[in-house]
Amino acid sequence: MTAILQIVFDALSLGSIYALGALGIALIFGVMRLVNFAHGDYISFCVFAMLVPSTDAMSEMFLGSLPTVVLVPVILLIGAGVSVLSEIVVFRRLRDANPATMMIASFALGFILKHFLLMLFSSRPKSINLWPDLSLPVEILGARLPLLQLIAIGITIIILVALSAFLKQTRFGLEMRAAAENFTMARMLGVKANRVILIAFAISGMLAASIGLLLAAQTGTADIQMGVSVMLVAFIATVIGGLGSLAGAVVAGYLIGAASVLMQVILPLEARPFRDAFVYAAVIACLIWRPQGLFAPKSAKQRV
Amino acid sequence: MSFLSVDNVTVRYGRLTALRHASFKMVAGETLFVTGPNGAGKSTLLKAIAGVVVPVEGQIRLAGTVISGAVPEDIARRGFSMVPEGRHVFGTLTIEENLRLGAGMRADKEAVAADLAGCYEVFPMLRERRDAPAAVLSGGQQQMLVIARALMAGPQLIAIDEPSLGLAPKIIDQVYDVLLRLRDERGLTLLIVEQSSTRALLTGGRMLLMRSGEIVMEGDARDLLRGDALKQAYFG
Amino acid sequence: MNAHRSVLARTVSTPALLILLLLAIALVAKLFGSGPFERTVTELFIRIVLVVGLYIFIGNSGVMSFGHVGFMCLGAYGTAWLTIPPAMKKFALTGLPDFILQHQAPIALSLVLSPLLAAVFALLIGRILMRLAGIAASIATFAMLAVINTVYSNWETVTGATSSVVGIPMKTGVWLSFGGALFAVIVGYGYGISRYGLALRSARDEAIAAAASGVDIERQRLIAFVISAFVIGVAGVLYAHFLGVVNPDAFYLNLTFISLAMLVVGGMNSLSGAVIGVVAISAMIEILRALEKGIPVGEAMLAIPNGVQEIAIGIAMIVILIFRPSGLMRNRELRWSRWPFERTSENK
Repeated sequence: MTAILQIVFDALSLGSIYALGALGIALIFGVMRLVNFAHGDYISFCVFAMLVPSTDAMSEMFLGSLPTVVLVPVILLIGAGVSVLSEIVVFRRLRDANPATMMIASFALGFILKHFLLMLFSSRPKSINLWPDLSLPVEILGARLPLLQLIAIGITIIILVALSAFLKQTRFGLEMRAAAENFTMARMLGVKANRVILIAFAISGMLAASIGLLLAAQTGTADIQMGVSVMLVAFIATVIGGLGSLAGAVVAGYLIGAASVLMQVILPLEARPFRDAFVYAAVIACLIWRPQGLFAPKSAKQRV
Repeated sequence: MSFLSVDNVTVRYGRLTALRHASFKMVAGETLFVTGPNGAGKSTLLKAIAGVVVPVEGQIRLAGTVISGAVPEDIARRGFSMVPEGRHVFGTLTIEENLRLGAGMRADKEAVAADLAGCYEVFPMLRERRDAPAAVLSGGQQQMLVIARALMAGPQLIAIDEPSLGLAPKIIDQVYDVLLRLRDERGLTLLIVEQSSTRALLTGGRMLLMRSGEIVMEGDARDLLRGDALKQAYFG
Repeated sequence: MNAHRSVLARTVSTPALLILLLLAIALVAKLFGSGPFERTVTELFIRIVLVVGLYIFIGNSGVMSFGHVGFMCLGAYGTAWLTIPPAMKKFALTGLPDFILQHQAPIALSLVLSPLLAAVFALLIGRILMRLAGIAASIATFAMLAVINTVYSNWETVTGATSSVVGIPMKTGVWLSFGGALFAVIVGYGYGISRYGLALRSARDEAIAAAASGVDIERQRLIAFVISAFVIGVAGVLYAHFLGVVNPDAFYLNLTFISLAMLVVGGMNSLSGAVIGVVAISAMIEILRALEKGIPVGEAMLAIPNGVQEIAIGIAMIVILIFRPSGLMRNRELRWSRWPFERTSENK
């Protein structure tokens, strides 16, 4: 029983990270039809923003030494900031370009961010001491789980609820949903393109920052590559969930998290190192079965 | 003073010239039909006015202000509302959300609420389903919804591209009934692209005849339709 | 028959010009260049094989594939298995069949067999993947690469897992890699003017119309997929014999990004775009590398700080894309126009 509970919470907490990532990608894809490959690097950027630039293996806290109540909003703002800056400097000028061009531009942007961090911090992963008390285990129904895992799951749920409320009940949310469905038609009704896109980037950046904080606390490491694996899974989850469907992206994120954890448990010992291969094979199978995604939005009509 | 003035407008898609030296004017309150065979450039004309495509030549003015080259959302804020071809309802939004979206530019909340109520009076079937996703509506109902949505923006000029496309004749009658009634109540200026010459005949007003990207004839709808010009344009 | 000859005559200047350009680069390297410069040019030619291989599939089908670097991995390890001397592979790669462990194939044979391995794999997995379109296909190809990478990174007895496999005869020089580039350009051109290429491009531009005209879209994509896999497999073989070592991480995200960037910056839909993209970006990389080392200016050294090189490349790519969103070649091919000799009334 305790083992099963452990697995469930593992799946939920991994799935939460993937779901947040997928949400960040899906938001931007919804309004701009752009897959932002720099998203993973926003995550890393937010983590390293907490540290003093150095090449040592031990890190020194810069912003990270702020009290939590201040630290969290500051990092969220940094995430939103770097994301919004990307839109203003790069993506805005490629608004009408074809998808491949926008993709490569986002690759290049991520490349720039990564090497900027490399210049300041070197490629050696650093240990980071963020909220160490949260790693202490808590007892639930006989299973001992790190408090951080529960917090990660809880925070994700709060974020999902808040975002959902924002989208359903505010004017901006309405405009974003309309723009995601048919951008040109929304503009013809007076929806300001730049404003909607900026909001999407800002929220996406804040989601990246949240992932960064959670990952840093969970792994105790700051690594330039830490956002990349999340980004890849997020990208996959967005497509499996159904492009343009935020709910789909979130569900797919949890599914992949669950599949990952389950594979680890089910696979025989010799096959365990190949776990990722099985997960990716499952992804291919999923796409063959439902290429349009699990929750393809109902109106698949041509845009104006 | 002309309310809408299109002056020597040319639109290209790459190497293809879709609209060539188009010029015409509309006065406030009038109804103008645009007709012609497929590929004549009628939709392109409306898209140019709406700001969805940018002319390479020429100028478009609305109530004296130049709007060619402006972005669609700014043109919409100047009192122009466009209903493009194909009934683009926001299927994942509810009917009421669709309508409220149209009203987004207006600051006066009370007037918007009054308009919404008025909308539901004119289109009772929309009120019944106001919280349902717009995707559940039938073709005719969707056409009503997009017209109502365009009206919620409180425009002075509405352009509609092919309101009858894909609809049964009886439904088309209903759509036009409502459209013309609203026009009379609010003094709207109407620009309608319509393949069906019958509609233009019944409704009256002026008509532009387009062919191969150019406006070839202009005049009273009834006169044009009774003459040979239309036959020439389609088959000549 | 007449029509076909005129297509060839009209378009053959494209591969001819590209090959002349590459030949010029090769000659400069051989006649004036130093050892390191020759290595740089060799790497350039290998990249051209890779990116032209990408163009064969991506440019003609319109499907952005993130997985093709996996075929380079297959080709590279294939040649490692075949050409490493038995004395070295017997202990490192115990999982290989005895026949392979005991023999060492000549490179010429491996240049045929290893890409064939990649092509066969492409045929098998392509039959599943090619029914997907658009972004679903892109994700699926990435998943394919991830599977290859995971398997090769963990199958110790066959691939040495994450440690590098050493002992590959280092035979790739300027001329061999030039030969590879020549091969790639000819195959890319030939496929492009063939009816298969035409059919696939018609499906890229107007899928419904193409299908209605009898084009079997899945089959055409598969053909391009397999051909591109073979070409990229050749790139893998050349690369392995250039470095002398292989490991799975060389064939994953970084190479995917840089090769796709070269293709898109050059112009995704044309063969010239693929070649020019590689030449342009490689030139930029080399110039920045030299700047990082420092250029003596009078008595001082003009140098840019370490790490700026990559940032500058990224910025350069973005700037190029902002000003030329469809790539440097703007989706057109290099052509020899008759202008210097004869003015015609064609539209200019």
